[in-house]
Amino acid sequence: MSETVSLHGKRPRVIIIGLASCFGCQLQITNMEPHLLELLDQIDLVHWQLASSDPLPEAFDIAVVEGAVTTKEALETLRKVRRRASAVITIGACAATAGIPGMASRDFDDQVESVYGAEVPVAAGSLVRPMAVSAVIPVDWEVRCCPIDPADFMMALQRFLTGSNRLAPTATLCGECKRNERGCFYGRGQLCLGLVTRSGCGARCPNLGRPCNGCAGVSPDANVAAARVLAEEAGVPAQRFDVALQLFNATNEDVCPSGAR
Amino acid sequence: MLYRVIDDQELPALVEAFMEDYEVIAPVRSGASYAFHHVDSFDQIELDYTTTITSLKKYVLPPKETLFTFDADANEVTDFSLTVRPRVIFGAHACDINALNSLDLVFEDSRYRDPYYEARREGLLIVGISCSPTETCFCHLMEADEARTGYDLFLQDIGGRYLVSIGSVTGANVLESACNPREATDEDRIAFRQATRKRQDSFNKDIPDVQEIAMLMDAFHSDPFWDELGSRCLACTACSSVCPTCYCFDIADVLDADGRTGRRERVWDACTSPQFAMVTGGHNFRDSNRNRVRHRMYHKLNGFLATHDRMLCTGCGRCVRACKAHISPIEVLKFFEEKGA
Ligand code: SF4
Ligand code: SF4
Ligand code: SF4
Ligand code: SF4
Ligand code: SF4
Repeated sequence: MSETVSLHGKRPRVIIIGLASCFGCQLQITNMEPHLLELLDQIDLVHWQLASSDPLPEAFDIAVVEGAVTTKEALETLRKVRRRASAVITIGACAATAGIPGMASRDFDDQVESVYGAEVPVAAGSLVRPMAVSAVIPVDWEVRCCPIDPADFMMALQRFLTGSNRLAPTATLCGECKRNERGCFYGRGQLCLGLVTRSGCGARCPNLGRPCNGCAGVSPDANVAAARVLAEEAGVPAQRFDVALQLFNATNEDVCPSGAR
Repeated sequence: MLYRVIDDQELPALVEAFMEDYEVIAPVRSGASYAFHHVDSFDQIELDYTTTITSLKKYVLPPKETLFTFDADANEVTDFSLTVRPRVIFGAHACDINALNSLDLVFEDSRYRDPYYEARREGLLIVGISCSPTETCFCHLMEADEARTGYDLFLQDIGGRYLVSIGSVTGANVLESACNPREATDEDRIAFRQATRKRQDSFNKDIPDVQEIAMLMDAFHSDPFWDELGSRCLACTACSSVCPTCYCFDIADVLDADGRTGRRERVWDACTSPQFAMVTGGHNFRDSNRNRVRHRMYHKLNGFLATHDRMLCTGCGRCVRACKAHISPIEVLKFFEEKGA
């Protein structure tokens, strides 16, 4: 349940910042062309990291955060952001699940060494094991997927402008996939992560003929244990299923335990 | 009921006659399966289709529909308006006609009529067609293998020709105008009886007939069977998406980019969705896959029967195919066959 940001009649001050990411989700916002101006009319965009190198403003109402946490500097930024903002919205898989940067979380020290050698360059910052934003600060709403759907971003902002009690869906993807009247990859012995991935994207990828990579993240109500068994039955070794899950869920201990598998 | 006979060569003309005044929806190929879809010519239609991935439900209850629009600046809500294109479903199987009849019981209940549903339903003609059961069909166990009402024409294949049951004046008129329907002969009637018997014999005999299923379910509400079924469920809602008689929906407001105008939308929902029975304050009345799967099966094989004197499940077999976890009414029938024995 979200509450609207208290504005005292003013337009909310919004900042957009990026942590470890490809900036693709921020670009998606600019891709909203036909609607971007209408949306900007309702807010006061006081800081957009993509377009300015100014420091973080002292005061703002809504913070939009892209990217995973991979440095101590990012930890600091987030804590600052959380203290100042009434609402924090994350955008993209990297922020929601640690996404692609999260893949480095396994054997983290070895990974760092293999990339940087013994000495991590100063420009890389003080590295920490990659984390989702919600692992560091409370997040009010997550716009999921890689990249985000601009319409979802618009809805997220509106949540805090006008209020909404809509929940983030936790049913998994196959139901949406069936609505598209598509067959299933498993019938063809192919792997698809729809079995455990959060719905909401409309099963976009299967609808385009590609299996789901799980960019929305594993649903908190997913039944991963059952899905592994079913995949195996359908001729997809459970181990392949586990490896595929690491692409967007590597830091989710329930799904990709750092120990076995 | 009025019966006539037409030759199978007359079918294209029948479809074309419908096309003059109606959008024609018919089974077409979709990957390795079939789907109901708009067609522009008879050649696209696959009349000997097995079953479709989703059902005809989408034509009366779309997966997403706008109920009304609103404008905050003008402080206005537009009145409900729906321009329905008259449609004919050409080639509905008996189970699906019965499914629409069941949906009518819900949405045309005089205590809370649904104008959106009614408008779509009123603009819909149904031409049924006979079928051969597949491995996953069990409509005969749900008393849905025969459509007694709910169609304008029903075409029974009797080998090179069709015995046509005429269910409405509109149906009769289109048939008369497009074909040369003739009276049924004794030979036609014999062929019809043979076709019917052949169909009855070809249902999958591994699916048990459990007459007292509803009663047994009442007695075994807490059986560990439900835990086992629930432990497999993926919480995906594929079952309800494909089901011709799952009618639950959610309603949400969607704002336009300007934040001032928007629309109220109705979207399909499903009791197998984890949040389906969650209420304000966060309490979830069905907080496990076990409870949710069990609920779905009870509505399909028990609850609807009590209020409407028929099973909500038509035995169409779609969820049997769609559920990766092999959860379906067939599993329930098999379990209770053992319990009852
Ligand atoms: S293709 Fe993927 S999303 Fe679609 S039903 Fe199969 S597993 Fe589910
Ligand atoms: S189908 Fe899967 S990979 Fe594709 S957008 Fe949806 S969640 Fe992401
Ligand atoms: S419950 Fe399954 S078999 Fe029964 S009507 Fe629904 S989809 Fe068909
Ligand atoms: S089975 Fe569930 S989703 Fe389907 S109609 Fe019943 S309550 Fe609704
Ligand atoms: S019963 Fe099957 S189709 Fe339905 S939600 Fe569970 S896993 Fe999905």
